[in-house]
Amino acid sequence: MYVQNKLTNMATTITHEIGTWDTFHNNGPFPTKILYETSLEEKGNMPSVTDRYNDAAAEIQRLLKAALDNHEGFRAYGSAWSLSHIAHQKDNMHFNAAMNLKKSISADELHPGTTYLQENLFLFQCGNVIKEISNFLFENGKSLKATGASNGQTIAGCVSTGVHGSALDVGAMQDSVVGINLIIGNGADDIVYLERHTKPVLNDVFANRIKARVIRNDGLFNAALVSLGSFGFIHGLVIETEDRFLLNRYVKKLDKDTALHLAQTMAFEDSDFSVPGETDADGKPNRPFHYKVFINPYVNDTEYAIEVMYKKPYHSGYPDPVPLIKTSVYRDLILLFVSIAERFKNSIPTLIKFLQSAALPPIDFQVTGTLGEIFWDAGYQGNAFACSIGVDIKDSAKALELLANLAKTEGPIPGIYAMRFVKQSKATLAFTRFPVTCMIEIDGLNWNPKTDKLISLPNFCTRIIEVFQANNISFTEHWGKNADWSFPGLVKCMYGDNAQLWQQYRCALLRKETADLFSNDFLQNIGLSEYLTDVPDGFAKSIL
Amino acid sequence: MKSAAVNYKNPFRKLCIATVLMIFLSSCYSVRVVNRDAVPEPDPLNTSGDFYKGKKVHVLDTVIRLKPQEGAFSLIEKCQSQGFYSFEYRVTFGGVLLNTVTFGRKRQVKIKYVCSKQAD
Repeated sequence: MYVQNKLTNMATTITHEIGTWDTFHNNGPFPTKILYETSLEEKGNMPSVTDRYNDAAAEIQRLLKAALDNHEGFRAYGSAWSLSHIAHQKDNMHFNAAMNLKKSISADELHPGTTYLQENLFLFQCGNVIKEISNFLFENGKSLKATGASNGQTIAGCVSTGVHGSALDVGAMQDSVVGINLIIGNGADDIVYLERHTKPVLNDVFANRIKARVIRNDGLFNAALVSLGSFGFIHGLVIETEDRFLLNRYVKKLDKDTALHLAQTMAFEDSDFSVPGETDADGKPNRPFHYKVFINPYVNDTEYAIEVMYKKPYHSGYPDPVPLIKTSVYRDLILLFVSIAERFKNSIPTLIKFLQSAALPPIDFQVTGTLGEIFWDAGYQGNAFACSIGVDIKDSAKALELLANLAKTEGPIPGIYAMRFVKQSKATLAFTRFPVTCMIEIDGLNWNPKTDKLISLPNFCTRIIEVFQANNISFTEHWGKNADWSFPGLVKCMYGDNAQLWQQYRCALLRKETADLFSNDFLQNIGLSEYLTDVPDGFAKSIL
Repeated sequence: MKSAAVNYKNPFRKLCIATVLMIFLSSCYSVRVVNRDAVPEPDPLNTSGDFYKGKKVHVLDTVIRLKPQEGAFSLIEKCQSQGFYSFEYRVTFGGVLLNTVTFGRKRQVKIKYVCSKQAD
C-alpha cells in the first residue's frame, strides 16, 4: 500500500507501508514501518537547480516534522549497500536515490580565503550514485579522486560510512568532501552548511542560496564527515574533484614475502617489484595509485595475486576497458554451493577455489581506463557477507596471519581475503585512522551453519575482535560491513577519546528530540546514541 | 500382461516427456543488452535477487497481430530523455512456433526493460 503526496510545484513523496526492509545483500530483514520515496519536482516546472534543491529540502523538513510529531525516528538511505544495520531505522526510512541534483560552483560563491579552485568544486545532492557523478564529472573534464571498488553507492551513503578504495596516497570518499549541507530538523534554522574553519570553501552567497546557516568549525566538520547517518539528513555535499585521469591496471603474481613487505612499508620505489613501463627515468619503480593483495586463506601459496594501478594523464583513444560481454555465475549454482558448505565444512576450501577463479581477474591482465571505468558496475546481486578490519600497515602481515589462522582453525568460512590500503582520514570516526590503513577484507557468501561444526557469522565476527584484542593490535571495523557491533566497548577500543568527541559534537549540533530522531538501533548497539548535556561551549559555533 | 504393458510404456513415456522438455527448455533463452554508461532507474521495492534487483522493471508480454501487408512493427515505449538502461528479450519455442504457423502474422513479444535514471 502506498500514499502519494502531491501539491503543486513540489517534490513528491510516496509513502510505502513496508513492514520489513532489507539491505541490498539481504543481511536482514529488519522490521520497518514506513518507507518514504521522494522525487524531485519536474525540471520543466522548476528549471532552476537551486529552486529544486530548496524545494526538496522543504519536503524533507515536512517529513521530519511528521516523524518528530509522532516521536519517531527517521533515517535516509540510498542504495542499501551497507551490510551492517547502519542504514536501518524501524519507524521511518527514506529512500533518496531520486534526489540527484548536480551543480558546479560559481565564482560568486567562493569564499575569499579559499585555497580551492572553483573549477574543481561541485555540489552533489545526496541521492547521486557514484556512476552518475563520474559520468557528470567526465563530461566536465573532471574526476572523483577515489571511489570504492564499484559505483552503485550514493554519495551520502559512501561518505557517512567511510567507503574507500585502495588509493594509498589519496584517502577514502569522505576525504574529498569540503562542505556538508545537513537538514537537522524542521525549523527555519535547521538547514546548516558545514565547512572547516581552517579551509573555508564557499561564502554566504552560496549559503543564502540554499537557505542554510553556515558553521565553519574543524571539529564539528570532521565529526559530521563520517556521521553514520546520525548528524541529520545529509542533503548535499560539496566535493573537491580533480582533472580526469587514466589508470593503468595490472594483475600480477608476486611472491608472498615481497607482497607483504610492500603491504607493511608501501616502499614501492625501493622495491624489487616493478612493472615494465611503470618506472622512472632511472629505472626505479613508480609509486602506484592503488595496491591490492588477494589471499586464499586455505592454501599456503608462495605467491599472491596482486593488483596495481598507476595514474596517468587523461587522453582519448584507448581501448574500451569495459568488457563487451559480461557473464556471471548461475545464481542457483552459488546458492547450491552455500547449501553444501553449510552442511559439509570440508567442502569450503574447494568452494573458495571456485569463487577465486570466478571473482579474480586473470593473472597478467592489463587494462587502461578512467576511475569510473576501472571501478565499474558490480556484478553480484545476491546474498553476501563482508568483514573489513582496518590496521596500521606495520601490523598488516601479523593481522592477516591472525585472520587466516582464525578461518583455518575455527572456520572454515566461505570467503576470500584481500588487503587494500588507504591514506589517513581527518574524520573523527574514520576507520581509515592510521597513517596508512590496511583494510583486510573477507568477502563471501552468507551462510547459515546447519551443524555445530561450522562457526556462524556472528561468532566469527566476535572472534575477530577477541583475537585482535588478545594480540594487542589496534584495529577498526568498516561501518558498512558485518561485525559484532554490540561487542562491549568496541567503539571506545577502536577510537579511544574520539568516540566521546564525536558524540559531543553531535549533541552540540542537535537538540535532544532531533538527536533521538536521527538515532537507530545501530547507534544504540555501538553506544553512541546517548544525548550528552555537558558539552563544552562552542562545539557547534562557527569559528570563522 | 497389463502390468507388463505398463512397464513397457512408462520408460517410453518418460523418454518422450524428457525429450519434449529438452526441446522446450533448450529453445527458450533470453538476451540482455545493457547501456554501458547508464544508471538504472531505482526501485527500492524490487527485491528480485537477480540482475533486476533494486531496478524499476517494465515488462511487455503480448502477441502482436500484423495485417498481411505489414512486415515490421515498432513498439513505442516511454523512457525519460536519458533513454534505456537495459532491455532483455526472450525467445520461446511457443513463440517461434506461433510465428511459423501463422506465417509471421502473430509474433509473441516478451521484453523486460529498465529506463535510465533521470539526470538532474
